[in-house]
This record gives sequence, structure tokens and C-alpha cells, in this order.
Amino acid sequence: MAGGLTYTAVESTALSTAEYYGKALCEIGKEHPEVVALTADLGKSTKIGMFGEAFPDRFFNVGIAEQNMFGVAAGMAKAGLVPFLSTFSTFASLRSADQLHTDICYQNVNAKIIATHSGTSFGQAGSTHHAICDFAVTRSLPNLTVICPADGMETVNAVRAAYETPGPFYIRINRGFDRVLYPNTDYGFEVGKAVTLHEGTDITVIACGSCAFQALQAANFLENSDGLKVRVLNMHTIKPIDREAIEKAVMDTRRIITVEDHTVLGGLGSAVAEVVVESGKGCGFKKLGIQDKFAPIGLHEDIMSILGIDSNGIVEAVREVMKKDFELDDNWDDEV
Amino acid sequence: MILLASKEEIFTNKIFLCAALPLVKVIAMDSPKLAKKFEHTHKVIQVSAIDPESPEGKVATHFVINSGEWLVHADKVDKNPHIELEFKSVESMNAFFKGKIGPATLPKMRGLKNTGAFVAFMQVLLKMSALLGAKTPPEDEETKKLLVKCFFYLLSSGISTLNKQDHEDVHNWALKSPDRVYAWAVNGYPELSAYIRVKAGKSRAGRGEYKRAMPFFTLRFDSLNSALGILMSTDDMLEATKAGRLIMDGAPEFGAQIGEYMLTVAGYAQ
Repeated sequence: MAGGLTYTAVESTALSTAEYYGKALCEIGKEHPEVVALTADLGKSTKIGMFGEAFPDRFFNVGIAEQNMFGVAAGMAKAGLVPFLSTFSTFASLRSADQLHTDICYQNVNAKIIATHSGTSFGQAGSTHHAICDFAVTRSLPNLTVICPADGMETVNAVRAAYETPGPFYIRINRGFDRVLYPNTDYGFEVGKAVTLHEGTDITVIACGSCAFQALQAANFLENSDGLKVRVLNMHTIKPIDREAIEKAVMDTRRIITVEDHTVLGGLGSAVAEVVVESGKGCGFKKLGIQDKFAPIGLHEDIMSILGIDSNGIVEAVREVMKKDFELDDNWDDEV
Repeated sequence: MILLASKEEIFTNKIFLCAALPLVKVIAMDSPKLAKKFEHTHKVIQVSAIDPESPEGKVATHFVINSGEWLVHADKVDKNPHIELEFKSVESMNAFFKGKIGPATLPKMRGLKNTGAFVAFMQVLLKMSALLGAKTPPEDEETKKLLVKCFFYLLSSGISTLNKQDHEDVHNWALKSPDRVYAWAVNGYPELSAYIRVKAGKSRAGRGEYKRAMPFFTLRFDSLNSALGILMSTDDMLEATKAGRLIMDGAPEFGAQIGEYMLTVAGYAQ
């Protein structure tokens, strides 16, 4: 269990996001014979292999040939099947970028990409296996819906939503050791709608993926230690982004921090910033994530801590942004 | 023998100078009949109290009136006002405005030759006294609106004044506060709103709706009568909240806190 030295074996089973993905896909497969699964020799690691065990006739391992897998999936979708394809996020977004662009998105086919080992969650495998710019690539591709679930239950919701919604999806999940945010799937998941994890009117922290849990922890800590009311939004859908929730956060809290396990260039922070700027209203703003560099190699928790995207880093950033002025002037004379 | 004013007397006095007396302008401009009386006035009118502790020997709030336009200079002395009501001490001024009117508290009046302006100013002062001193709510809607507006302004300015005067509780609260806005509002009457912005020990009372963003906390009333119930202490905050007459937009603990400072201001002003 690389990357999970702080968890027991029992806990790791409960925390495995990819396990939930595998199970959810099998459930969908049971009811819908048109669902097929493809892998590029990563069936076991990405958990799509579970589908292969249940439905061997509908499972295709194309070998270590990701670009080919995307092309095959596009063809299957054109023929009326619903292909789910899984590989590591970095391969799905970079190595197969051309096929994702032209075969999947340009054709607007009904293919679902479940990209695993995203962000820095494949910590010890090194920077070549960290997916730090997949949001930037995928959210710029027309027709593609981009989702980053926060835990296993949200992954189940995202996979179900992907099946139920026509068109290409890119779902980004971690290597499999996310902290549990939701005890079940009944919390009102809706594609394109952020989930409020904690109410507050001082500042809004908008997070996705594994950072959502960290943001919630930071909000609870800040409420007790600093008396701050921190709104936490789990922005699971990166595209289409929940403009309404962001605009409301600007109006209600005047300060926003985004947190993502991704470069701060082109990801969640950039998507939120675009909405803020287009709203025409200023607000204190800070993007937490990978600051235009390659992430170090190590345990995911350690990397998150070094990058400042864990709860301590968020607490520090909130305190910093709270000190910023949001008024244009510094007039403290009472109005008479 | 010179007696120095106590801390409590100073707080009371500052509330009158900075939060209550500025309402004279609000009241004068609210009624077209009263406003008309200042149409051709070009005068400086001052309300002051002798204060040996102050560098100018007195404390004052003065009004510069030019053709019906009012400028309020709260807690600022004008050396040569056209009209002046000068109390012999801070305590006398406080007692007078708390309704203890008698030979010991009556001010000296200067500039009586400016009869028109003097009489008009006194009429506004009397209207303010009657309005803020009333025990029962007014009957007509216009007066209700004026009274609610005056109370909101008094409270926002009063809390800010106490902070600036280093009132222990209020200033400690302000010191710990991040940049936050607290507002008072009545549904359907945005023009009556007032707010206070607080940040790391600094504060600013503002009038009207705070439009830069949603306030951190708003004490919102569902009607004028509900607002007057709380502001005139004929209703209970908890009961009003339970019944929906008072809506707390924000965390209830902040409502309790701001409610406490409202009572502190009221305690000094009444």
C-alpha cells in the first residue's frame, strides 16, 4: 500500500476510491449491456479490471497503447456502445491528448474516461507519473465534461452521472486513498453544481478532489481557533463550472481561495478566477496548488503538505487572505 | 474646583456628539416643512459643553448650513459659530439630552439675534427629543420610517464611536475582528438600512445598504413595527426571532454579540 503508511489495511479498503469506481461500473454493466470497458494494460491498477472479471466479453485490453485505446473507444461509441476507458491521468490527458481531442471530443462521442492516479496521488512513482496539468488540458476541450470527485461515494455518483449523460466525460480520481467525506451517495450530487460542505460568510474555500476533505478540516479548525466562518465548496465539476456558486461566494464572502492537487495554471483556480473576473466584482483571491513547478516525489500526504494544499496550508492561506483589504479606500470616518 | 468627567460620562458624551446629534441633519432633511426653514440659511450652529480636559476647552458638534445643505462635523469645535448652545459641563450636556431638563442643565445660548435659524434649529432639536424619547411607536408610516432610520444610524454610529473611544468590550471585539460588515435592515425599506464595517480595531459607521458585498451579518426585521418593537424595547429579541419578526442573516452568535453592543449604546444614550 504505497502512499498509505498512515492507514491500516482495513482503513485503506474503505478509503479506496478506485474500488468504488470498479464496483459502480460493474453495477452499471449489469443493467446495461451496451457498456464496455477498455484498458491499456492497467486493468488492475485502475480497478477497471473488476469489470473485466465480471464481464470478460465486454472488456478489452489494448496493451500499452493509450492513443490506440482512445481511437478504439471512439469507434465503439460511434457503433452505439458506451465505452468506459481507464488509464493513469497523465497518460489520458497528455499521451492521448490528440486522440482525446480529435477522436473523442471533436466527434462528441459518448465515451467515458476514468483517469486514475491523478494529481500527485501516485507520489512515489515520481514526477513522470504525476498528473499535474490534466485539468488545464481537458477543460479546454469542447464537449468534454470534467469531474474530480472528492471521495469514493462521489466517484460512484460521478460514474453513474457519466453513464446517464450523453457525451464525453473525463473523471479524475486518485490512486485510491482518499479520506471519506460522504458516508453514502445521497447528498444531492449534480453535475455542474458545487456541494456546500461548510457554511460561512467570512471567506470561501473552493476545493476539489482530495483537497475538499482538507478544506473542510481547515474550516472546522478555523471556526474553533480563530472564530472564522469559512464556506467550503466541493467543486467536483471543473467543467461546466458552477458559476452561480462562485458569483454568490464573491458577493457573500468577498474572499476566495481555491485548492487543487494540480498546477495553479489552467486548473480549478483558473476556472474560478475566470468567473470572478467576468462577474465584474473584485474579491480577495488566492490559488493553492502546484505553483508552476514539478511536485517532489514522496508520499501523497507529504507532497500535499509541502505544496500547502493540506489543512495546515489552507489554514495559513485563509489567515493571509483575511488580512487583505477588499475596499477601494481606507476611510474609517463614520458617515454623518 | 474642576471636576474631571468619569469614563462613563465621556462615553455617554461621545455617543451624543458623534451618534445622536448628527441625527439633527437627518430629521431636518426628512421633513420638507423643516427643510424649507433652512433654505436661505448660511450659518454655523454648534452644540458644545465646557470640558477642561479637552485642548480647546470644550467639546462640540457643529453644523454648517448653506442654503439648506447640511454638513455635520461631529465631535469638532468651531471657534466662531453663529449660534451656539453651550452647556457648562459634559455632565450637564449628558443630563439635558437624557431628559433631565432644569436650571442646572440648561445651556447658554449665543447668537439669538439670528432668530430664524435659531428657532428652526430648536424646532429640529425638539422634534428629535420627542422622536427618540417616545415610549410608544408613532402612528403614521412616515414617522415610523424616520424613527427606525434614526435608531439604525444611532446604533451603527454609536458602536463605532465606542470602539474609537476604546470602550473595553467593544474595542476588544473590534480588535479581534477580521474585515466584516454588520448591517441593520427592514424588509421592503432598503433606504432605512445602516451598517458598520469593522476590521482589526478600526470601524466605520455607514448609512444605506452596504452594496460592496453581502454583509457578514444582518439584523433584519420583517416590518417597521417589528423593528420598532426591538428598538424601543417593547419586544424581546428571542421571541421576535422565534416568531420571524427578526431575521438573523448570519450565525446567531454574532446576532447576540451585536445585540449586546446595541444595548450598550442604548444604555449610554437613554
